[in-house]
Amino acid sequence: MRFLTIISIFLFLSFWEAFYWFFIKDPFLFSPPSKVIPTFLRLILGQDPSFYLPTDILYSIYHYFLGFFTALVLGISIGLLMGYSKKTEALLFPILELLRPIPPIAWIPIAILLLKLTHAAAAFIIFIGSFFPILLNTRNGVANVEIKFIEAAMTLGAKKKDVLTKVIIPAAMPSIFTGIRVGSGVAWMCVVAAELFGVSAYGLGYQIEIARLYHAPEIVISYMLAIGLIGMLLDRFYRILEQKTLKWRRGLVFE
Amino acid sequence: MSEILLIEGLRKKFGDILVLDGIDFSVNEGEFFSIIGPSGCGKTTLLRIIAGLESYEGKVLLRGREIKGPGADRVMVFQDYALFPWRNVIGNIVFGLEVKGLKKERLLEIAKKMIEIVGLAGFEYKYPHELSGGMKQRVALARALVCDPELLLMDEPLSALDAQTRLEMQEEVVKIWQETKKTVVYVTHSIEEAVYLADRILVLSKRPAKVKKIVEVPIKRPRNRFSDEFSEICSKLYNLLK
Repeated sequence: MRFLTIISIFLFLSFWEAFYWFFIKDPFLFSPPSKVIPTFLRLILGQDPSFYLPTDILYSIYHYFLGFFTALVLGISIGLLMGYSKKTEALLFPILELLRPIPPIAWIPIAILLLKLTHAAAAFIIFIGSFFPILLNTRNGVANVEIKFIEAAMTLGAKKKDVLTKVIIPAAMPSIFTGIRVGSGVAWMCVVAAELFGVSAYGLGYQIEIARLYHAPEIVISYMLAIGLIGMLLDRFYRILEQKTLKWRRGLVFE
Repeated sequence: MSEILLIEGLRKKFGDILVLDGIDFSVNEGEFFSIIGPSGCGKTTLLRIIAGLESYEGKVLLRGREIKGPGADRVMVFQDYALFPWRNVIGNIVFGLEVKGLKKERLLEIAKKMIEIVGLAGFEYKYPHELSGGMKQRVALARALVCDPELLLMDEPLSALDAQTRLEMQEEVVKIWQETKKTVVYVTHSIEEAVYLADRILVLSKRPAKVKKIVEVPIKRPRNRFSDEFSEICSKLYNLLK
């Protein structure tokens, strides 16, 4: 298996390299891996005079967590309320249905006008992107809890509070986790989009655009690589967290 | 023997459909009481009313108190077990004690004893999906019994098991009932099962259900399924249900 992975990476890099030398051959438009890899290493070690990748990574992660955690807290709590109470659902559903189809990118002008070029503006876009998947998955998870579990709990003496914390939330957990993972993926895309559009003057997305203005495709691609790697690590993190938390589902869904 | 459950003039409608039409009976303390009837006649509905999971018209009194909602004094064991899949065997068993607010050591102590009684030793940390049907039913039974309910309500608890396991579990249920001295109300569609288990059997008619008859089973335990008196009562019930 490991052998296949190495082959696949090697082939990918060869095609990329060949593509550059056969079709582009212009260092101001595109870069081959033979140039990107050293650039990437130099950037990650902070040895480039004008681009400092470690700081940009920190800024982007900061934006991500600011927006994503707000979405996590609000999305899960409102989702629980909506799934639990028909009244809250009726109250909020029409508004959410209207707001949900607006792409996060369409909020960028308003974010800039209201919050200026601040971290909060970037976090706001990320919040918009990840809030809805978390909210809807939580709501569906709660609404689909099987009634027999709730009835069983009640005949065992559970009060309303127990039903919520000991039945509804654990039963909805798999769905909530789906929301967290989808939401995190969208949030990371929104980080790049928000910074790219200049909502914040820092971060990976912002620097990609600056590097383009410099006509330095090797830097653009290095930043893209960093974005891909971090996105992958974030998804891994939630996947492991999910498997640890939902041990009881092993054998039902996993493996 | 004193009366623990009294039902008088019980009626139940689902929309326009009358399901239970004037049910009267009472259950004595410590008794094994079984309810049988044609399928779809409302046996389960009757049990759910006692559990407090359905609204009703009429009188349903537990030791003189009107039943208004579910509570741990009348624990129900469901046909499909309804075990919490996110809790392991111990976690499921202690649920009722947890919501009662018991301390962790006390809770585990009671659970350990119960695990011995129902024969689940060695399975404490398994999750429900890792257990066979018979084992799941043992967990459901243990989960109900630790609450020390006044009434143990069982809704066709063995109907999802294969024939062999079912016979074993019937013996197990009798054994546990004798050990714990609980009052049991047991719904089943199997005549033979009712005769094997119960002191008295309530026979319901087709929907809308009325009480057709209450049949006593005066056979000593352990009961022999092949004795004449056993088959006599079975055929009597069979004729009542026809």
